[in-house]
Amino acid sequence: MATQPRRARRRQGELEGQVLGALREADGPVTAAWVQERLGGDLAYTTVVTILTRLLAKDVVSRERRGRSFVWTPTADVARLAALRMRRLLDGERDRDAVLTSFVTALPPHDEQVLRALLEVADTEAGTPERGAPLGQQGRGQHARGQHAPGQDAPARRSFGTAAGETDT
Amino acid sequence: MGVFVLLPLVLPLSAWPVARLAAPRLHPRTATRLLTSVAVVMAGCSTLCLALLMVVGTAQLPGNPLPDGWSDPEVRAAVPHDGVAGRAAIPALGAVAVACGRTLLAHRRVIRRARRALAGLPGTTVVVLPDPEPYAYALPGARGGRIVVTTALLSGLAPAERRALFAHERAHLAARHHRHLLAVHLAARANPFLRPLRSAVLYTAERWADEDAARAVGDRRVVARAIGRAALLSAPAPAPARTLAALAATGPVPRRVAALLAPAPAARDRPSLFTGVGAAVWGAAAGAVASAMSSANSAVTLFLILRAAATPL
Repeated sequence: MATQPRRARRRQGELEGQVLGALREADGPVTAAWVQERLGGDLAYTTVVTILTRLLAKDVVSRERRGRSFVWTPTADVARLAALRMRRLLDGERDRDAVLTSFVTALPPHDEQVLRALLEVADTEAGTPERGAPLGQQGRGQHARGQHAPGQDAPARRSFGTAAGETDT
Repeated sequence: MGVFVLLPLVLPLSAWPVARLAAPRLHPRTATRLLTSVAVVMAGCSTLCLALLMVVGTAQLPGNPLPDGWSDPEVRAAVPHDGVAGRAAIPALGAVAVACGRTLLAHRRVIRRARRALAGLPGTTVVVLPDPEPYAYALPGARGGRIVVTTALLSGLAPAERRALFAHERAHLAARHHRHLLAVHLAARANPFLRPLRSAVLYTAERWADEDAARAVGDRRVVARAIGRAALLSAPAPAPARTLAALAATGPVPRRVAALLAPAPAARDRPSLFTGVGAAVWGAAAGAVASAMSSANSAVTLFLILRAAATPL
């Protein structure tokens, strides 16, 4: 068991995961009271409702009115919830590059041309490329984006930030 | 002493040629360690110098709690334009303290938020997140850290390239690169002239992980391909192609790929003085050491003068 202040800090993230996990174990739409009972004694009913509402805002649960209360259904799993939280962190923190070392940084258009040319040279030197089209002519992320909702992110979005001072060498 | 007292503040300007010489020529591991140490030493000397200047400056303010001896004419003679320099040092030191504090807080906040984001997932080293955005990060942690990668990035890479990606991130975690990066970020906050060193270390740390990954998967070309593919996955729509321009002007990703397509860098840490590369490396190293030494010298001299003045003879 972790110490008390540490628990308080991690509480929110853990609770969201636990509530979502409980919803996924249910057979169908369930009420907040069911979730509270499922998670055990020490959680207040209002806390459960708060967390369910937060999950609703993140679009990982849905709700419908049944009688005088809502019933809740999960629309995503815990991994998706973690992905959403991670995305929010990456989009919101300008200083993340000091901590999280990204595999690649953003590519300005000029760099992209150079990169494609380099990889084309590498492909021709190596003979046939491993699979599919040669890298130099590959479009942007066809296989990656095809399986998800295409309209979900605007084309201008960048996942790899560049550190503040990276361009001043 | 005269103007030499101010030397530690401007000597970090030498960081620019040092970084330009060392980063592309040394083995990335050596370059990362050398440049990080130089940045830390220079930032320390520069901050110490600021603190001493501030003492000289504040010693003349009425009502200060400092010993009277600290505002002796002898001390003031050691600093040119002592009044101006001293008073300017106060806000400068304050700015340094605030900037470094904010960097440290941001560092802790990012780690905390990232751990909280992953709370509830199984405690495996590799975390695969279902996300249409292709990215991969190494998240430092107490038990060796974790590698966060999205399904979008993994599905864009061939199996061998995925191995290269994981090897790269594992290299970051194993060598604790985040400590180097935090050190150079703090140094760049302490003295803005050290920013070229920060950029250089950001690049050499990536190259270090690239080289380790190339050794782990046994094929430099695969690592180059993995970097290229990952970068193109997240790039904006392709512009009409032009001819291959000068590599020197490009950003870090094409330079990393080009370095991996070239032969492996010499693992020797001490190249011979009688080659072109060796001369450049040793020149950079000697320049760095000389700057650090004279920084330290100025700081120590000023410190000794102050101490002599403060001690009743």
